Amino acid sequence: MDLKALTQLLGEKVKTDPVTLTAFSTDATPEFKATPEAVVFAESRDDVVKLIQFANENKVPVITRGAGSNLAAATVPITGGIILVMTKLNRILEISKSEMLAVVEPAVTNVNLDNAAAEYGLMYPPDPGSKTVSTIGGNIATCAGGLRGLKYGVTRNYVLGLEVVLGTGEVINTGSRMVKDVAGYDITRLLVGSEGTLGVITKATVALRPRPTISKYGVAYFKTLADASVAVDAIVGAGILPATLEFLDQVCINAVEKFAAIGLDTSAGALLLFGEDGDSDDVEIKTQQMADICANPAGVISVTRAKNVVEADQLLFARRCALPALAREASLAVSEDICVPRPLLAETVAKIAEISKARQLKIGVFGHAGDGNLHPKVLADINDPAEVARLHAALDDIFNLALDMGGTITGEHGVGIAKLPYLERKVGKEQMYLFRRIKSAFDPNGILNPGKTGS
Amino acid sequence: MNQNLPFTPKLLERCISCGYCLPACPTYVITQEEISSPRGRINLMRAVQIGELSIDQTLEQSSYCLGCRACESVCPAGVEYGTLLEEWRSAAWQGKNRNLILKLLLFAVNQSWRVRLLGIFNPRNFQKSKWNEYSIMLGCFERGLFPNVSAAAQKNLSINVNGNQGCCGALHAHNGELARGKEMAKKLGEQLPGKIITTSGGCAAHLASVIGKDRVFEYSEVLFNQVDLLKPVLINGEKARVALQDSCHLRHGLQIYQQPRAILKQIADFVELPGASDCCGAAGTYAILRARDSKKVFDKKAKEIEKLNLDFIISVNPGCTRQLATQLKRRKIKTKVMHIAEFVALSNSINA
Ligand SMILES: Cc1cc2nc3c(=O)[nH]c(=O)nc-3n(C[C@H](O)[C@H](O)[C@H](O)COP(=O)(O)OP(=O)(O)OC[C@H]3O[C@@H](n4cnc5c(N)ncnc54)[C@H](O)[C@@H]3O)c2cc1C
Ligand code: SF4
Ligand code: SF4
Repeated sequence: MDLKALTQLLGEKVKTDPVTLTAFSTDATPEFKATPEAVVFAESRDDVVKLIQFANENKVPVITRGAGSNLAAATVPITGGIILVMTKLNRILEISKSEMLAVVEPAVTNVNLDNAAAEYGLMYPPDPGSKTVSTIGGNIATCAGGLRGLKYGVTRNYVLGLEVVLGTGEVINTGSRMVKDVAGYDITRLLVGSEGTLGVITKATVALRPRPTISKYGVAYFKTLADASVAVDAIVGAGILPATLEFLDQVCINAVEKFAAIGLDTSAGALLLFGEDGDSDDVEIKTQQMADICANPAGVISVTRAKNVVEADQLLFARRCALPALAREASLAVSEDICVPRPLLAETVAKIAEISKARQLKIGVFGHAGDGNLHPKVLADINDPAEVARLHAALDDIFNLALDMGGTITGEHGVGIAKLPYLERKVGKEQMYLFRRIKSAFDPNGILNPGKTGS
Repeated sequence: MNQNLPFTPKLLERCISCGYCLPACPTYVITQEEISSPRGRINLMRAVQIGELSIDQTLEQSSYCLGCRACESVCPAGVEYGTLLEEWRSAAWQGKNRNLILKLLLFAVNQSWRVRLLGIFNPRNFQKSKWNEYSIMLGCFERGLFPNVSAAAQKNLSINVNGNQGCCGALHAHNGELARGKEMAKKLGEQLPGKIITTSGGCAAHLASVIGKDRVFEYSEVLFNQVDLLKPVLINGEKARVALQDSCHLRHGLQIYQQPRAILKQIADFVELPGASDCCGAAGTYAILRARDSKKVFDKKAKEIEKLNLDFIISVNPGCTRQLATQLKRRKIKTKVMHIAEFVALSNSINA
């Protein structure tokens, strides 16, 4: 690559010093590392256009990066090339109360958008565990879920329109500010979850919702995660679609308690966090119903209601910290993201426990139980090659289990590089071909995040 | 462990690059660039550890980091960033990489007798104090710059003072002389047997990390035990309006931040400063070695302090007192700056 020409084009925004390159050689995915040839900090859409035109002419890979918090190695530059960093494009351009929408630059963090919406009595519902760091651009490109997915849906349900730079350098505007718009193919939806392989998002129009004024939470402890899963199925089976149904197994409870020290019952096998939000007495009724249902299944140890907002916030915070807190338990911790039909949740978690036993590895399981979305985190000693090999075998078992259950290899973290080997088994050969044809329509020279997802 | 490795491998392995620490890091907030974030810096340390980068290449980031340890409090994985930074600077800030001003500063406090020259202090003896088992630590620069702080603390608690004591070595530990810093802390622990009270948050954290937390107490932590006995500080008959600036190492290293607040709530009209736990930019020698960056870090704080319309902004660390006073004066903001011990002394308080 002609780095001189690139620097002439974008000046100081281009960094090629080894220190900066090193800092962008990894994201939040363990075991993946590759050093880029250059890093570009975009400060405007025009910077992006210029860079993509340059890359397209010179056939250099461009890996777009938000906060780098993804767990699929989606921003690791395995093919070399340029990391396009969006973090300086972090302004909220507009919040329209009457239209209930926001227009944002791509690197606004999820939590900053939600806080800004709160000032208008609104909220941005998708709330991934990483909401304090992850960016809206990254959330859209991975179709991030979160702790409120069951009731509110995920990122794809909130994207109205996008400004996107294609692999050719052309700029398109998809969708609009309206909820209704069927003029042409739904390119917006196609870009959601496209992991930076189809275009670079430079602006997003997202829907907001009225901010609920009341929220109530409770916690139930069970002997096993399978017991908790039975309760989850019973709650939704009773016609309740709550804001939150999250669970943690004992490995996670212990790790979280070590960090947050909020008095969780570390002797229990599983913790189920349930909660509802809204504006009326209905919230209280639903929460109590859930507490009553939890009290019934076999294996229940205790059910308590959070006394106040502080206590509820602590519980949610604890849940959000499960993933990084598990890093305390081992020097290598790989987190997966399978999703299975909810009625099969209990069977699935029981089988994960079997995998843990068979592979002689600790596996911490937590997840968005209401969505059937599980994050088994496999733990190993990074300095013990035999253990690391068993870890990979266990991950393989877990993916196969998900597919056998009629589930999926990733619910919300994306395919990236990490799950690419399993993609074809999930979607079939024909769809893989279709993916490639779609890819070449957006990015004929294959410069956008090559070697990831469907490309 | 391989003795030649600059970093303790176990500490480096802990970080999972989740990025939770990014929004808490003052230098990342300013630059929005990965290399000046905790995660980025740990990546650099890793590259040094395996020889991908030379230690010299990482010099700039090792010094741009404030060492405030805000990243530690928010890290769910329990990464001990403060220790990693000490190891980093001990490896990087050697030979030609050592700043001349820094050399002079460290030299000045290296020996007890030089520390004594920094300030003339009148040791006092209170015969019937309930704090007899404690001795007060005078600090090094605090002795010279703010002798009134220790004097006030001594008076508030009626506590004994032993004039023959050196520096705790925090300055050394944080500035590339980890081994010497630990040695000095040990020595001070011998000079002051039993329990030690300090009015400096930074020193408290360092000393505790070497001689054990059970022997080291920060002033507000101790005074908190008799908070009910404190009388208000009045200005024109009304309680003074105050806010607290946390000491980074006191808060992020020792998790002490509720006690000074409880004291201030008792004796004053206390308001919470937004970003009270964010570094003020003093950061030990930082304000001297990187004056421009230190000023930039303070910009946000200046606005926040001005907005609150305070009588006093209270600190729990002498370095912060100095930084707050200098930076507020430079911006012509009239809020007075005072160490918590001096402020408590204004309440013509207790003599329990
Ligand atoms: C502790 C932890 C908890 C997490 N919890 C959740 C969770 O609950 N739910 C969940 O869904 N995820 C979760 N994640 C995963 C991660 O945070 C999400 O995938 C998030 O959406 C990534 O956002 P980011 O800004 O970090 O993007 P990055 O990691 O920088 O990038 C992710 C992908 O988006 C692409 N991309 C980024 N910005 C743009 C843009 N402007 N235009 C085009 N493509 C772009 C990149 O090329 C890459 O393919 C968690 C991660 C961690 C570390
Ligand atoms: S230091 Fe902690 S919070 Fe920061 S990236 Fe590493 S593990 Fe995450
Ligand atoms: S010590 Fe402070 S400045 Fe340094 S990395 Fe941590 S948060 Fe950032």
